[in-house]
Amino acid sequence: MKLTAKRTLAALLSAIGFAWAAAAVAQTDTLKIGVVSALSGPGSEWGLAQDGGIKMAAMEANAKGGLKIGSKTYKIEVISYDDTYKAALAVSGATRLIEQDKVKFIVGPVGSASLLAVKPLYEKNKILAIIGAYTEKALDADTKYMYRGFPTQVEFVGPIVEWLKKNKPALKAVAQIDPNDETGWFSQKLLKEHYEGGGYKVVASELFERSLKDFQPVLTRILATKPDIIELGTTPPGTAGLVIRQARELGFKGQFVKIGGPGVPQIVAAAGKEFAEGLICYAAADVTTKAYKDLEAQYAKVLKPPMNEFAVYFYDGARMLLDAMQKAGTVEDTEKVRMELEKVSPYKGVQGTIRWGGMKSYGSNHQILTPIFIGMIKNGEQEIIGRME
Amino acid sequence: MFELAAKIVINGLTSSLVYILMALGFTLIFGIMRVVNFAHGELYMVAAFLVYVMSASLGWNYYLAVLLAAIAVGLFGAVLERVLFRPFIGRELNGMIMALAISITLQATAFILFGTDEHSVERPISGVIQLGMVMVPRDRLAVGLIALLILGMFYLFMRYTKAGLAMRAVVQDEEIASIHGVRPKIIHPLAFGLGAMLAGFAGALMAPIYTIYPYMGSQPMLKAFIVVILGGLGSVPGAVLGGVVLGLTESVFATLINTTVATMVSFGIVVLILLIKPTGLLGR
Repeated sequence: MKLTAKRTLAALLSAIGFAWAAAAVAQTDTLKIGVVSALSGPGSEWGLAQDGGIKMAAMEANAKGGLKIGSKTYKIEVISYDDTYKAALAVSGATRLIEQDKVKFIVGPVGSASLLAVKPLYEKNKILAIIGAYTEKALDADTKYMYRGFPTQVEFVGPIVEWLKKNKPALKAVAQIDPNDETGWFSQKLLKEHYEGGGYKVVASELFERSLKDFQPVLTRILATKPDIIELGTTPPGTAGLVIRQARELGFKGQFVKIGGPGVPQIVAAAGKEFAEGLICYAAADVTTKAYKDLEAQYAKVLKPPMNEFAVYFYDGARMLLDAMQKAGTVEDTEKVRMELEKVSPYKGVQGTIRWGGMKSYGSNHQILTPIFIGMIKNGEQEIIGRME
Repeated sequence: MFELAAKIVINGLTSSLVYILMALGFTLIFGIMRVVNFAHGELYMVAAFLVYVMSASLGWNYYLAVLLAAIAVGLFGAVLERVLFRPFIGRELNGMIMALAISITLQATAFILFGTDEHSVERPISGVIQLGMVMVPRDRLAVGLIALLILGMFYLFMRYTKAGLAMRAVVQDEEIASIHGVRPKIIHPLAFGLGAMLAGFAGALMAPIYTIYPYMGSQPMLKAFIVVILGGLGSVPGAVLGGVVLGLTESVFATLINTTVATMVSFGIVVLILLIKPTGLLGR
């Protein structure tokens, strides 16, 4: 009896030992990647695209068994916080990610004010970040750990204004409308410089609060200046749709142009097919390519709502980041990963070859450079009418 | 010049009518129950989403959807009063916190059900109508006329029905009204339901004009708050006057200067009224 008990105990201990050893061999650690961006409210189309892009890349890596770095395999967990496009919430989200969740890698924010608010946090804590935000102040010669994952207006406003001048020579007077915050101020300043530099006359520059939905008074004032073009800049897509509809109802017969954040489906939904027809816009991606459609189909299977074009950039940016981690052989040392991230450029992205650049504009090569697309809304859909490498 | 002035007045008046719809319900609920209903904006949002579901998703007639949405929100308001607000009668602070809790819960529920995307409802009427030198969008004009009709019916209900008389009596003095046979247990849910229904009408009517999203109620709520402070908290005629003052002020300043100045001026007027006549223009 005593012998049997000893044997049973030995067998039990052996079983526990084997189980522990087996677990150790197949050990999978968790790699946490943070997102802090606008996940609700106006502009959330772009924030959700950031969130969706990294989630798609993470799911892809997890589906392959995880991210292999040295002898370890990591399951990627994405932790997201909503800043609702507000700087204060971006700071609290980023602080929580850094201090509570102990993340070393963050994607976002998308709002310029939010980005400028978290920039010191990222740099001080050596957080390697794939950021959004259009503001030129995001990157400078001292920026070390932040890399901008999408092209900004600095990269595409000039070529698109040139295109307009060449292809729509009859249009001369421009009225601008943008949100009244860091994103809108920067957009308006930059667009004004380029339009005026291109020989256009800027007849009105209006700013509005993001919560505004009734644009009749603003548009009444704009239309009194008799513009040929209403430039919607960084107006969120849903809101841009409302502006278009209300301007048409007030009798505007000119051209709508949007050289800012994309979002044709939301514009068409809010403006109606009939009113959105003919809008010329910056298109973040050629949505007709097979690579885009494949990603969109994958996205639709696991995420809601319909994929915004920006997701492509953050999907590519996240894959570049994961590749850099593998090459650096670490998920802890962000300095090493940063060095490798710069080396993975040029990279084969969904839209073609992408690479880091921007030294001339920002003083550092932390800006992604991609092909530029010009879109036009035809029958409720975006059609690519121009592509510039 | 005349054209611009006419545009300003028409824009101002169409906005005013929706503000009044919102503010009337808000002030009615406060006048009768002494509850500052911070969830009023979310009742507006719920009605807009109901129209979205019935009209855009199920394909029902838009006007039927508006009516059903407003009635549903009215019934919902009556249930809210019976279940959540009744224990706090006479305790304004508790009622206010309950309203805030309901507001956040409704926003979160809409967020879970519909996501953060902005949704649209196809407009039942489109195009513009030429009134003299001024072009007015047909859909806005229709909303203005329907709002006017609802306000007229509300006035007749309050002025000429027994229930309306009882409500006015409760606004003036609930205890004395009770002595004369008015039963607050019936009047409270009726008033809350009616107030909620007015917010429901506003939300349902504006659904095709603007986009629909979980946080869409915060602006109308803010406007309703300004209107009732201007007109006098609890005063029905004050809400009408406050709505017209706010709508026209916003229209003038937003058209001639910009929307930020218009908001500043609106709040400036509120501050001025509070300093000169703290009970509002027609408040007691």
